[in-house]
Amino acid sequence: MTNMTRQEAEIKLKSTFGIDHFYDEQWNAIDQILNGNRMLMIQRTGFGKSLCYQFPATQFKGITIVFSPLIALMRDQVKALNNKGISARYINSEQTPEENTQTIQDAISGKIKILYIAPERQENREWIEATRKMNLSMIVVDEAHTISVWGHDFRPAFRRIINLVNLLPKHLPILATTATATKRVQTDIERQIGGSITTIRGDLRRKNFNLYVIKVSSEDEKMIWLAQNLNNIDGTGFIYTGTRVDTEVYAKWLKYVGINAIDYNAGLDADTRKEIENNLMNNKYKCVVSTNALGMGIDKPDVRFIIHTQIPESPIHYYQEIGRAGRDGKPTTIILFYNGSKDKEGIEEDFKLPKSFIEGGRPAIKYYERVIEKLKIEPLGERNLMKACNLKQKQIRVIKADLIEQGIIKEVSYSQSKKYEYQYNAKSLDAKLFEELRIAKLKDLEAMREYVYTEKPRMQFLCDFLDNETSESYNNCDNTNLTPINIFINQQWVDRLKEFRETYFPILDVETKGSKMVNGVAASYYGVSNVGNAIHRSKYDNGGDFPDFLLRLTLKAFRKTFGNQHFDMVVYVPPTHSGELVKNFAVKFASVLKLPISHNLQKTRVTKEQKIYQNSYSKRDNIAGAFDYAKPEEIKDKRIILLDDIFDSGATIKEIGSMLTKYGADVIVPVTIAKTVGGELV
Amino acid sequence: MNQELTYWVALAHTPKIWISKKNEMIVFAFKQGKTIIDLFESDNFLNFDLTQEEILLLNQTKSELINYSFMVEDLLNQGYNIIPVTSEDYSPILKANLKYNTPLILYTKGNKMILKEKSIAIVGSRNANESSLLFTDNVAKKASSEYKVVVSGFAKGVDKQALDSALKYQGQSIIVLPQGISTFNSGMKKYYKQIIDGDVLVLSTFFPKSPWSVELAMARNSIIYGLASEIYVAQSDEKGGTWSGVCDGLKKKREIFVRQPAEKEKCANLLLIDKGAKLVDIKGDVVKVPITNSKSISEIKEEIILLLKQGGSYKMRDIKEKLQLNIPEKELKKILSESSSFLKTKKGSTTLYSIFNPSMLLF
Repeated sequence: MTNMTRQEAEIKLKSTFGIDHFYDEQWNAIDQILNGNRMLMIQRTGFGKSLCYQFPATQFKGITIVFSPLIALMRDQVKALNNKGISARYINSEQTPEENTQTIQDAISGKIKILYIAPERQENREWIEATRKMNLSMIVVDEAHTISVWGHDFRPAFRRIINLVNLLPKHLPILATTATATKRVQTDIERQIGGSITTIRGDLRRKNFNLYVIKVSSEDEKMIWLAQNLNNIDGTGFIYTGTRVDTEVYAKWLKYVGINAIDYNAGLDADTRKEIENNLMNNKYKCVVSTNALGMGIDKPDVRFIIHTQIPESPIHYYQEIGRAGRDGKPTTIILFYNGSKDKEGIEEDFKLPKSFIEGGRPAIKYYERVIEKLKIEPLGERNLMKACNLKQKQIRVIKADLIEQGIIKEVSYSQSKKYEYQYNAKSLDAKLFEELRIAKLKDLEAMREYVYTEKPRMQFLCDFLDNETSESYNNCDNTNLTPINIFINQQWVDRLKEFRETYFPILDVETKGSKMVNGVAASYYGVSNVGNAIHRSKYDNGGDFPDFLLRLTLKAFRKTFGNQHFDMVVYVPPTHSGELVKNFAVKFASVLKLPISHNLQKTRVTKEQKIYQNSYSKRDNIAGAFDYAKPEEIKDKRIILLDDIFDSGATIKEIGSMLTKYGADVIVPVTIAKTVGGELV
Repeated sequence: MNQELTYWVALAHTPKIWISKKNEMIVFAFKQGKTIIDLFESDNFLNFDLTQEEILLLNQTKSELINYSFMVEDLLNQGYNIIPVTSEDYSPILKANLKYNTPLILYTKGNKMILKEKSIAIVGSRNANESSLLFTDNVAKKASSEYKVVVSGFAKGVDKQALDSALKYQGQSIIVLPQGISTFNSGMKKYYKQIIDGDVLVLSTFFPKSPWSVELAMARNSIIYGLASEIYVAQSDEKGGTWSGVCDGLKKKREIFVRQPAEKEKCANLLLIDKGAKLVDIKGDVVKVPITNSKSISEIKEEIILLLKQGGSYKMRDIKEKLQLNIPEKELKKILSESSSFLKTKKGSTTLYSIFNPSMLLF
């Protein structure tokens, strides 16, 4: 171990980091770490937790590994360290495999002092093999609340980190850090990390936050208030929505009224995400609209506002999410919208979404049993398991994480892949545990609702929930010294919003390499307007042809997006069963546009309805090679509109796209009446 | 406690130190009420009687402990068990048989409780003949009916038959791998059902990633013998794995049962009997009237005299057959030529033996 006095350490601190002194609390932790001890640090964001491992890391001979779930944060930290001449790198899914391999090689040859990796990497063979050859000096578990199932953000991949920590030799220093841990989570982390761990818990108050709750009576009021007021708030910041569709809707709306907003979600590719993050760092947007679940871990000290359009699942979630703002200590605006109007059953509107996340967080028990039954027969990889059980990827992932957690199955490396194996003598599924977690989560959600209506200082409410101990008083909120915000809506804004809604059409994201198909457009989201109902009536309730308003809306969507382009023909997706709905629709569509309609796109074999398949692999298998075009010569060099009623996973559209590409189509534009929300493989 | 596993695995795979030495260190530490962690975390390895080089090696291992942590986590995560010699789960039979040479850790997958059951090993050639396979099937059947676990080495021939027969008769089986446990995917897949049902335990004592090799296959034999209370030999050549394994077992005074070969069968089974193994019939039952073992050379001589006195001359092979002598021809030849009671005459290329009658000399 490395023995040094505080004075000696601070000389090195000055020369390496350009900082004069440690805070006492920092030095306490660093002293422990230098002596090979295990530490848990619970400190607010902006306290300077990173220095507590970065400094010791520079003093150790070998590498310090930092497990961190926040990719963007890794990137920023590495950049900052490299600027100080400390060799830091990261390994994560954002880099190419070649870049990750190079980083691993550099780690093995001792060229790296601090290595950031995502916990999921612990499942990667190459990484595990490489760990045998590295000279390792310290392990850091960042965002350690994610290792506790009682934490607000439990990540199954962190289970393996905990298992690893339990196996680490006694003399190895370990630091776990978090900004959000209740006493219960704290105890859980202490127990899991084990050994003789020392905990340092600091004051979690964020004094520079101005906290507001805006009570509204509709979604429109939130949108209109933002349009009216966002540009009056200083600086740049985030808007967090409850769903991915809403990130799109809010960002488009704000742009529509001239506010420089962009949506950022998990569906974007790494390059686009990086670009948005870079632009954000350079204050090129007024705001980034994202789902709160995404946790953009960007190290931007001057995020000036965070606005939630939906309540998070608990006060801890909320504390964590707003915690990303105002690290520079300057005044920061924190707003929560809440629609408390009640439905027929007396449930408040904005309570419903987070409640449904909790209720629907786990698939039904029968699906767990289905997975277990299949795995009792043979070991299966994720994809085959999805197909065998006919479950969505998301469902399978939740189920397998739970089953691994309960020791019923294990993930085993086969030569090129991973398979899940049922375990001898496995206990039967304990669904009681899920129920306990569900009840605990509902209780936390109820506490979040209480935050809306509390008369306490809002920061106090949050800190009490985190078991924070301080004798000082709280202020800076609409319950204390700040004027509450009220909503004023005028007809002009109501009209503008209506106008926006009628000209906003979802994009069909289908572009792939090697296909002549481009991203298309839908008239509406299925289920967020009356469009879905109308389609359903025609399709399943013998409601006759699709009503004309759907045709008008679809034409509008098409004209808005592709109106200035020339097309040669309209083809339509042939039905699974009999039925001429789409055909009749396409005939009308083509006649309005005065384009020839083709009936030559045909099924070559019987397929099942796509909707009975729960995942995109099975959907793809169902329709693979199922289409052909009767007169291929018609297709060559043509610009084609491909019509269908509902766009879900896109598998059918893509299949037809590649077939038409093969026959020489010049461009294929898919157009549908509706797009479902949250197709598989998001 | 799991943390110890890191230390166990690290010590087990420390090169160039004898297993017996490592076991002595462990015993020494435990007698002082210390754990393996104390052993590593103390400065001089508890002042154990170690050479300079050994201390160097152990210090090297100590610096690699963290690396072993990653490996152990990966193995446990995949459902492998790591059983240290001090664990209650460790095979008591193995420990009793191998004593200080017992492996420090066992890597297993499946029902580790099998290690506590009575067990038999069935060993034999990869190119086993029909009777060997039938014998193996019989022995496995009998063992299974008596709730004994069948231990085998997952080679072709007898090993494979032993495993499949044990499972056929609803018995349990231990597969002792000639390789690291994480390189056995195909077998794990093939016996998946039996593994998860608790009927098969896969076991390896080698570094988990080691591929199959001749050395490991040979080293594995002593584990097979060690894991079994009784050893049955279906078929052995005069060299190779089975032969050296059995010879080694006999040297260690293990009770080993060898199948009685048929007439003219090409195998070295009978040679093993000479070395002290017990003869069993095709059903695995001990042959009631043991022929060679209890018969001294003088007894054999007397029997031959009695035969020859009835008149006539015999080829050596005929004598052996008539008297059902289960001794090598070389030995029989020695008896026949060294005794003055027998007369040797040549007829062409064949040698005939008759009784030496001194009265004949009168003529």
